[in-house]
Amino acid sequence: MDKTKSRIVGVRVNKEQETMLSELQQKSKLTKSELLLKGLETLAEYYSDSGAEQEPMQTALQRLESEAVRHMVSLRKIRRKEEAIKEFVREIRKIDEIIDRHGCNPSMLIQILLDVQKQNNWLSKPALVWISERLKVPMTRIMQIATFYTMFSLEPQGRQTVQVCLGTACHVRGANELLTRTQSVLNLKPGETDLEMKHTLKTVNCLGCCALGPVMTVAGAYHSNPSVAELKELFKES
Amino acid sequence: MNEIRENITMKKLKSVKDIKRLQKTLLAERKGIRKSIAVCEGTGCHAYKSSDVADAFVKEINKRGLDKEIGVRRTGCHGFCERGPMAKIFPEKIFYFKVKPEDVPEIVESTLPGKDLVEKLLFLDDKTGKRCAYQHEIPFYKLQNPVVFGNNFLINPKDIEDYIALGGYSALAKALSGMTPADVVEEIKKADLRGRGGGGFPAGLKWETARDAPGQPKYVIVNADEGDPGAYMDRSVLEGNPHSVLEGLMLGAYAIGSAQGFVYVRQEYGIAIENLPIAVAQAKQLGLLGDNILGSGFSFDVMIHQGAGAFVSGESSALMSAIEGRVGEPRPKYIRTAVKGVWEKPSVLNNVETWANVPLIINNGSDWFRSLGTQTSKGTKIFSLVGKVKYTGLVEVPMGLTLRQIVYDIGGGIRGDRKFKAVQTGGPSGGCIPEQFLDLPVDFDELSKVGSMMGSGGMIVMDEDTCMVDVARYFTRFLADESCGKCIPCREGLRQMRRILKNITEGKGKPADLNLLEELGDFLKEASLCALGQTAANPVLSTLEYFRGEYEAHVLHKQCPARVCQSLIVFYIDPLKCSACATCRKQCPTDAISGDKKLVHIIDQGKCIKCGTCFQVCPTRFSAVTKLPGGPAPEPVAYGTKVAQKSKGEK
Repeated sequence: MDKTKSRIVGVRVNKEQETMLSELQQKSKLTKSELLLKGLETLAEYYSDSGAEQEPMQTALQRLESEAVRHMVSLRKIRRKEEAIKEFVREIRKIDEIIDRHGCNPSMLIQILLDVQKQNNWLSKPALVWISERLKVPMTRIMQIATFYTMFSLEPQGRQTVQVCLGTACHVRGANELLTRTQSVLNLKPGETDLEMKHTLKTVNCLGCCALGPVMTVAGAYHSNPSVAELKELFKES
Repeated sequence: MNEIRENITMKKLKSVKDIKRLQKTLLAERKGIRKSIAVCEGTGCHAYKSSDVADAFVKEINKRGLDKEIGVRRTGCHGFCERGPMAKIFPEKIFYFKVKPEDVPEIVESTLPGKDLVEKLLFLDDKTGKRCAYQHEIPFYKLQNPVVFGNNFLINPKDIEDYIALGGYSALAKALSGMTPADVVEEIKKADLRGRGGGGFPAGLKWETARDAPGQPKYVIVNADEGDPGAYMDRSVLEGNPHSVLEGLMLGAYAIGSAQGFVYVRQEYGIAIENLPIAVAQAKQLGLLGDNILGSGFSFDVMIHQGAGAFVSGESSALMSAIEGRVGEPRPKYIRTAVKGVWEKPSVLNNVETWANVPLIINNGSDWFRSLGTQTSKGTKIFSLVGKVKYTGLVEVPMGLTLRQIVYDIGGGIRGDRKFKAVQTGGPSGGCIPEQFLDLPVDFDELSKVGSMMGSGGMIVMDEDTCMVDVARYFTRFLADESCGKCIPCREGLRQMRRILKNITEGKGKPADLNLLEELGDFLKEASLCALGQTAANPVLSTLEYFRGEYEAHVLHKQCPARVCQSLIVFYIDPLKCSACATCRKQCPTDAISGDKKLVHIIDQGKCIKCGTCFQVCPTRFSAVTKLPGGPAPEPVAYGTKVAQKSKGEK
């Protein structure tokens, strides 16, 4: 595909796009580059229209939503797209609530990310982009934080989190053997989620219940050194 | 009166006299209560479902119509986590351990006059074979002096009135009414209070620096980002007695002239995160936080920040970066944070325990504080005594007690009466202290002399079944993961050390590796940016110094003497002992064990993942499964060998 790519006014186009352009060209009687520029102009207008206000993305999203309502009458295909957009808007609205709760304050960034993580169980790209947009914090800094702390996950998590404590006290009492057992029963490695999105296996540095060690939690409930049979039972229930 | 008052109509306190009056009223109100039952709801006991026990108490007492005489209090941690859930009966201080909801009616019955105690739930002393009922009889509590931690038994952390009834916020009242900020700093300096977070830096000096530093506003910060694995004393203080920390923070703020405080607490500490905002809200309601506190003109507010799980964020400059909303990485401290901290303003950051000590010093005077502890380290310290020790839990002792007293007298010695090998102090930055130093008094300076440190107070006891190379690898892995990667010595040095240690524990070590480890360790100490890197080599260097023989066994003989390193050890079924009970075969997660009725079971070493299940489940009357320190395994018997005949008596 790449080999057939050519450039028009500095913009890369592939073969399909090129044929599309030449069709349009015949209809509108413009040159290829004029047509492309026209397209880019419209795009720029679209952004400059919505970018005038204080919160550009919010107004844009509102329009997208009203547009979605208009299109609902026409085609089923579009309706599905709308659903996706609306879902997206709903998600963003929820994140908005969290941001507003923290007073839209860039120094509360970590707290906001924690709340989003808690609500969605992970940090999706659109959520992070939206936070970046609202707080006026560059995306690089958000990614720096999201990858630095162990609490944040950039991938969807299973419905139940299985945590095996690897604190020092648990370690000397045989946490490694417990981890090996859990891994073999769940058939997952630490950090992985099964295909049915049921369990995510994680290791933690200390749960602070050293008297129970080696200890693990399944969906928040503590279990002290379960055997293979007990583990199978635990995961069957859930 | 049940559940000791949750819905209180709290009036704003307008003067110092108001708070004393409130305390009097509260005490008068509570006179009618004959007894109170404190049920521990700290994280440890919570995991044992202690809230069910507390519910059962409330139900039972209501049923008997005793709710005017017996109060039930849901408190924070009582320290003896090994024996949770526990209930303590006041005023006699009788302890009941491992209480189940079905034991509750019996306990309530026993509090009535002329009734006997519930014998089976009392502490059983192994050494004397006697049951101990009272706090002062139980060996675990006997040597302790819980000045900071003790109030946990008496306070419902969700109720500010409990704290005030005990004389809480009287230190604040005392300072606001009769002491200048300089007096407060002077008192702390005189008390010689050293930072409990690990560094042991004199708190008074830090306060003075911040007070004299130019720039406004100033900040005070509670460091509750307790990241050391195996240590949880800060959490227990914060979740059990949050007001003592807040009061200390207010005193600090008053002393240095700050109006804004922060509490930086780990997100993992669920109960602390639940209790703290309640404490702050109640203090605000009473006018102990906010503008013009107790009519003194001093104003102060507190904000709670949650950490997101990074060990290095507990470092002071990293924590301050996190409060500013940036990533929690340390920065060079050419200028102290007391001069330029949060947003480049003077900031005093102290550990939870340090702050909790402040009201005690102001109330009782620096002389009282100096009377506890050793020459260079004053006061008490809370340790989290965990690992292979018999009685796991939190212990608060005066500085200067010996390790032997802590491990053997308080902790009851080693579990299963195994042999003591080492005690690891100071978290991942500390070192392992071998048996010959057991009589060392525990304070800030003595422990550093033997290559460890006191740190925040984690004490992990290890016995002969703990492999020291594995422990060193464990800490190095932990630190390599947690290193922020900003400076090269820490990032690359730890990575190399981890690689070498991994090789050694997998039996791929070379004799030259040991010297290389020492060289790398020295380099890390000299060249790292923050304390994480500077102390990161301690676990490796101290184990190399005291347990070199174990390293050599791994490198030269490819054996793990403690039978821990999974790549080296081998599980083997003794054909003479195997009774073909099939327990191990059924439980093996990888079906590595073959055998049949009356046939000796055999482990397929190729399939074995060394999870230890067979070793764990083999009935003790056979104990046929053995762990060998290194391979190769003895040649297994041929499949189909019949189990050895046993005489009837052996069944």
